[in-house]
Amino acid sequence: MKKIETSRRRFLQGSVALCVYATSSFSFTSKQNSSITTIENIPYLCNMCRNKCAGFARVQNNTITKLNPNKYFPKSRNMLCPKGNAGIQAIYDKDRLKYPLIRIGNRGDGRYKRVTWDEAYEYIKDKLVTIIDEEKDNRSTIAYCNGEGFNKDEYIKFFGSKLGSANFLDEGSICLNTKLGATQLTIGDIGEMDVAGSDYLIISGANRYESLITPDSIDMIHSKQKLVVLDPRCTVTALKADEYLPLNPGTDLAFCLSMIYIAIKEKLYNETYVKEYFKDFDKLQKHILKNNYTASWAESKTHIPAKKIEQISREFFGAKNPLYYLGRRSVWAQNDFQLRRAMVLINALAGSVNRKGGIIFGKPFVLKQEQINEAFYNNSQGRFDLDGIVYGSQKGGSWLNFREKVLTKKAPYPVRAMFIRKHNIMQNMPNIAKTKEMLNGMDLVVVLDTMPSDTAMMADVILPECTYLEREDMVVSFNRLEPSLALRNKVVEPLYESRSMQDILHGLGRKLSKPLFAVSAKYDEDLQESIEELGAKNAFKEGGYDFTELYQNSIEQRNKKLIVSQFGLDVYTSLKTKGVWHPYIGKQKELYNDYYEYYPKEKRFYTVDRKYRVNCYLGKLEKSGFDPMPTWHSHYDFKLSEDSFRLITGRYITSTQTATTNNIMLKEFQEKNHLWINDRVAKKLDIKEGDTLVINSPIESVVIQAYPTNKIAPQVLWFAHGFGTESEELTNAYGKGASDNMIIEDKFEKIYGCATMHETNVTIRKL
Amino acid sequence: MARYGMALDYKNCINCKACEVACKEENGVELGAEKHRIWVGANNPDGQWPLLDIASAAFLPSQCQHCDDAPCQEVCPTHATYYDENNVVRVDADKCILCSYCMNACPYDARYVDDRTMTVDKCTFCSDTRLARGETTTACQNTCPTKVRTFGDLDDPESEISELLRTREHFSLKSHLGTNPKLFYLT
Amino acid sequence: MKIGPINIPLKEDFSLKSILGFEKTPMNMLVAVLTLAFLAMFVVGVATYLMHGHHAYNVTREHPWGLLIAVYIFFVVSSTGFCIVGSLGDVFGFKDYMMISKRAIFGSIVTILAGFAVIAFEIGHPVTMLIYNVLSPGLTSAIWWMGTLYGIYLTFMIVEFYFLLNNNMQKARIFGLIGLLVGLAAHSNLGGVFGFLNARTISNGVFYPTYFILTAFITGIYLSFIIMGFRYKMNFDEKTKALLVGLAKIQTLLIAILMFFETWKMLTAVYGGMPNRAEVAEHIMHSGAFMYGEVLMGMLIPFTVMLLTKWRSVTTYVWTSVIGMVGIFFMRYDLVHDTQLKPLQMMKTHEYQLPPSWVEYFPSATEIMISLGGLGLCVLLYYVGTRAFNLDEEH
Repeated sequence: MKKIETSRRRFLQGSVALCVYATSSFSFTSKQNSSITTIENIPYLCNMCRNKCAGFARVQNNTITKLNPNKYFPKSRNMLCPKGNAGIQAIYDKDRLKYPLIRIGNRGDGRYKRVTWDEAYEYIKDKLVTIIDEEKDNRSTIAYCNGEGFNKDEYIKFFGSKLGSANFLDEGSICLNTKLGATQLTIGDIGEMDVAGSDYLIISGANRYESLITPDSIDMIHSKQKLVVLDPRCTVTALKADEYLPLNPGTDLAFCLSMIYIAIKEKLYNETYVKEYFKDFDKLQKHILKNNYTASWAESKTHIPAKKIEQISREFFGAKNPLYYLGRRSVWAQNDFQLRRAMVLINALAGSVNRKGGIIFGKPFVLKQEQINEAFYNNSQGRFDLDGIVYGSQKGGSWLNFREKVLTKKAPYPVRAMFIRKHNIMQNMPNIAKTKEMLNGMDLVVVLDTMPSDTAMMADVILPECTYLEREDMVVSFNRLEPSLALRNKVVEPLYESRSMQDILHGLGRKLSKPLFAVSAKYDEDLQESIEELGAKNAFKEGGYDFTELYQNSIEQRNKKLIVSQFGLDVYTSLKTKGVWHPYIGKQKELYNDYYEYYPKEKRFYTVDRKYRVNCYLGKLEKSGFDPMPTWHSHYDFKLSEDSFRLITGRYITSTQTATTNNIMLKEFQEKNHLWINDRVAKKLDIKEGDTLVINSPIESVVIQAYPTNKIAPQVLWFAHGFGTESEELTNAYGKGASDNMIIEDKFEKIYGCATMHETNVTIRKL
Repeated sequence: MARYGMALDYKNCINCKACEVACKEENGVELGAEKHRIWVGANNPDGQWPLLDIASAAFLPSQCQHCDDAPCQEVCPTHATYYDENNVVRVDADKCILCSYCMNACPYDARYVDDRTMTVDKCTFCSDTRLARGETTTACQNTCPTKVRTFGDLDDPESEISELLRTREHFSLKSHLGTNPKLFYLT
Repeated sequence: MKIGPINIPLKEDFSLKSILGFEKTPMNMLVAVLTLAFLAMFVVGVATYLMHGHHAYNVTREHPWGLLIAVYIFFVVSSTGFCIVGSLGDVFGFKDYMMISKRAIFGSIVTILAGFAVIAFEIGHPVTMLIYNVLSPGLTSAIWWMGTLYGIYLTFMIVEFYFLLNNNMQKARIFGLIGLLVGLAAHSNLGGVFGFLNARTISNGVFYPTYFILTAFITGIYLSFIIMGFRYKMNFDEKTKALLVGLAKIQTLLIAILMFFETWKMLTAVYGGMPNRAEVAEHIMHSGAFMYGEVLMGMLIPFTVMLLTKWRSVTTYVWTSVIGMVGIFFMRYDLVHDTQLKPLQMMKTHEYQLPPSWVEYFPSATEIMISLGGLGLCVLLYYVGTRAFNLDEEH
């Protein structure tokens, strides 16, 4: 069996051949003959989506020939999803950004000239010096954003701590900030959901089987708890549920309120827990009972039969370890914050907090932070995107509020430049026209990315970053119940002239530090004093103005130092050879069929010693004129005029937002998106499978093919996010399907400033 | 020598396509929707919204069933289709004349034409890739998020697959045709 | 012409001039132009195939066999039919049929050559086939038997024809008999190619191997009418008339048997609604190719005409035989297509597809060109044969 068979034909058919297929600009021919000589398996962390799974890359003669799952990582449980498997085509994508580019045409028309890294840096420096000088050293005129999880802190350290801008934006406000905030403000921690430990699981809208989150998606299959799914669309998660409860879009809160009502009315809640941990339970009880959120009331809102709501509620509160899944996806509607809070409260009422199968606090590894010398700028002003937002994320801000204020010139100062890293803002937030207008108003737009996205096409300078397989990143701590460390190792050297983010920032820092220091010296009185006192050289150094401080040592050296000093050499070795470390890594037990137990059950951090309260009532909200407790308002009702539809969005298992639609392998499975429309409605409108439709929203219209199906509610339309790319440089994705954010209205809720994705009503007509 | 088979806990399949991509990447399967060695079949749920019969929807991973009495092997005029030493049904590309008889005879639609070699191609249980390198699993088994597939030696009573087949009820596809498939669907 | 001990008696005036020296009637000109056009198509079709491989064909994973297979079957059935008709005289000694033997045996050679010419461009690797057919014979494969037996059959046919040319009736009979038996074996194996397909319920079983022999005979008689009409320009002498009347009577009987066969095949297929068989049979019966092609043209029209004219109007039968051959073509086409009608994998593999229902197939231009090219080749070879050899009975 171990005979090595490498017949000529087989080899030609091998993966290398496939790589060649996808990489016309790269020649492997000289390497083919000598292949299958050395095989190396290098541990890495996937970056095809935000989730991060671990894998081993098989490398033959400097070419990655296969990505395989890593069995050592508790989070991803020895699996790679289709996107993870197709990562090989991300590095060898022929459309990749290969060289630094400077724009020579108009924004968006895709005309660029290839330049050297130095020329690119020089160009950026000249622009920045002028802008910052003109803005009298208000560094916040340079906004910066980052849509990637890894390296975000490094990026913030550069532009925030060193360059001194307050305006950082990330994907949180177009993603899940309300959920994080609701959990934090209700039980004092964002926690982690122990899906594996739960015996009764309710999921509202989150499509865990088509938008994989490890380990949740995997645990749902393996732990075989009762699964109840609420969704206006019959997703794969719904198909796999024990009970699927179709409901009107945006009415999940009514279901939750009714569950709370039933729990209180029938005294189903965990009384000891409530007594010990709840704050203002009386207020909650009074509020819920007064509003009479009965099952039949909820039926009128959700369309779920009252009997069903009662049955599910009783089962849930009667279960040993029930979990109401808090969701993890975009924000839906104005009530999203209180919807997530209602979910947290349901878990808390059942006592499912800080215990097996509930929201657990756990015990994550806390990595020491590398200390850097932060620069201080007196003339740098604060952020403005949280003005008018009750809480908001101090870190990632509110994208839509930011954009609106910049566009309407209601910001206290102009934002004139933007650094965008791995954040396709031209596709990822509602109302693309406004994003375009915002970028068109900038004096400088710099994009760091691997692909020529729609956003890259708006840049003045494009800096090609290498993909996740071509770089080492700083070590990351994962999870709370079964905590581990994981390290993204470099698998192959960066292709073309691409560089890691750290190398890019290092180069940029060398170029920027002194000239920008000179601008500060011109305006900043404290700095002038300091220069007088210490001399320019020392003032520069001690004031933290050297942008390259963090990058004096390579990532490899920094990782080694950090890990060895905090955890010891063995941990470092494990991270380099297995990509992962946790205390039981040598002792993990195979349960069956390549599926492992990582932490022994008794060693998992189900319950930790922690003082916390469950806050039923948020006074700050009341003061700001919002509901302090989850409340239903009549304008949340799902009511539409007869010929209009509610547009909801989501994604395919084979695509991650807009980042993967150009992937030649994934394209095989979903080349474009289709519009889901209820089959009976379609029949009435004489719409057949494959018909071309125009969707009109109040802001724009898009063209898409119809998919009549019984799996969606009447008056609801769905199509997947990530398609409708306008960048012609993405040759596989260009012109395929429709872009949801073209037509989704740019509304945002005011508690966290999050874009509400499911509040747009549209009409359709056949083309 | 072994007698390789696969048991599929198909009710755990979530149709995520990871196996299909892994298969294509591992075995350098030609790109193109028609060119696949393995696939997942799906049924739409019956009924009308909101009364959908979710139990009627199923995901059924499928591929070459590596029949012990394979019609494709019987009909091959040049023995291009053969059983290798591990009882895996394989195609010897050098002998294949592309008469396509096997494609017609296979009851499972498991064969297709590889346009690069102009011969018939099919699942090999990764015999010439992973197993040849000494690995013990197929690419599809290895990557599956929900570990639907169990791959192993049916002749080894100690193997995990033998244990599974002893303890779990199972069926095979189109067993009435007497093909004796070595893919087993666990119920 | 003498090659060593082999003596091939060619016509004395055989030359390029004699080939081109046909009577320039409109009908002859039409046939000549069509033949040349078909041959040109053959060249274009083959060139397209050589450039694009099977991409030039509309065959798919679900429908791997297309028009070329059907046309191959059409030609080899024709060949077997000619062989059967030819054997009536020289093998079985029916005196009346002796006069057509040589011509029919020559026809059987020509048609099988045309069949081989077409199949060579359907089989992906014909040279590999020749090698591994010998080195690694697949004895359980009906295709192996069919191919091998047809190869042997062709040899016997050529030898038989050689002895017929030399008027060595003794040896012609021996080789004719063996050739006929091998041909029938080959031919029923071709039926077996389909009959062995357990997964294809509609084709599986005894029907096709036997049906093939029957329809071969019918095809042979249709073709005999056509070549005799061509030979005598519709002015038949009494002896020929007697021959053709005899053939017409046999044909009526054979078609009647065929109609019984078909009726019962369809009835048993539909009866009881057995999955995979009944719905396929119903689907077939609703197709134009079956109803108009097979039933109307292949059986009903020739049958009815012969009954109504009481076997007397032999010139009419030449024309009904042309119609009959079109019907026979649809029988071959449907046989191939209908076998593959029902998908073997009935689940959706992609969200945005309708669930698999019937496998669709329509031949590509390349397939059609190569097929017509096969016909052109057949006509050309036959015509050249009529100029080179004396295909009439020698007195």
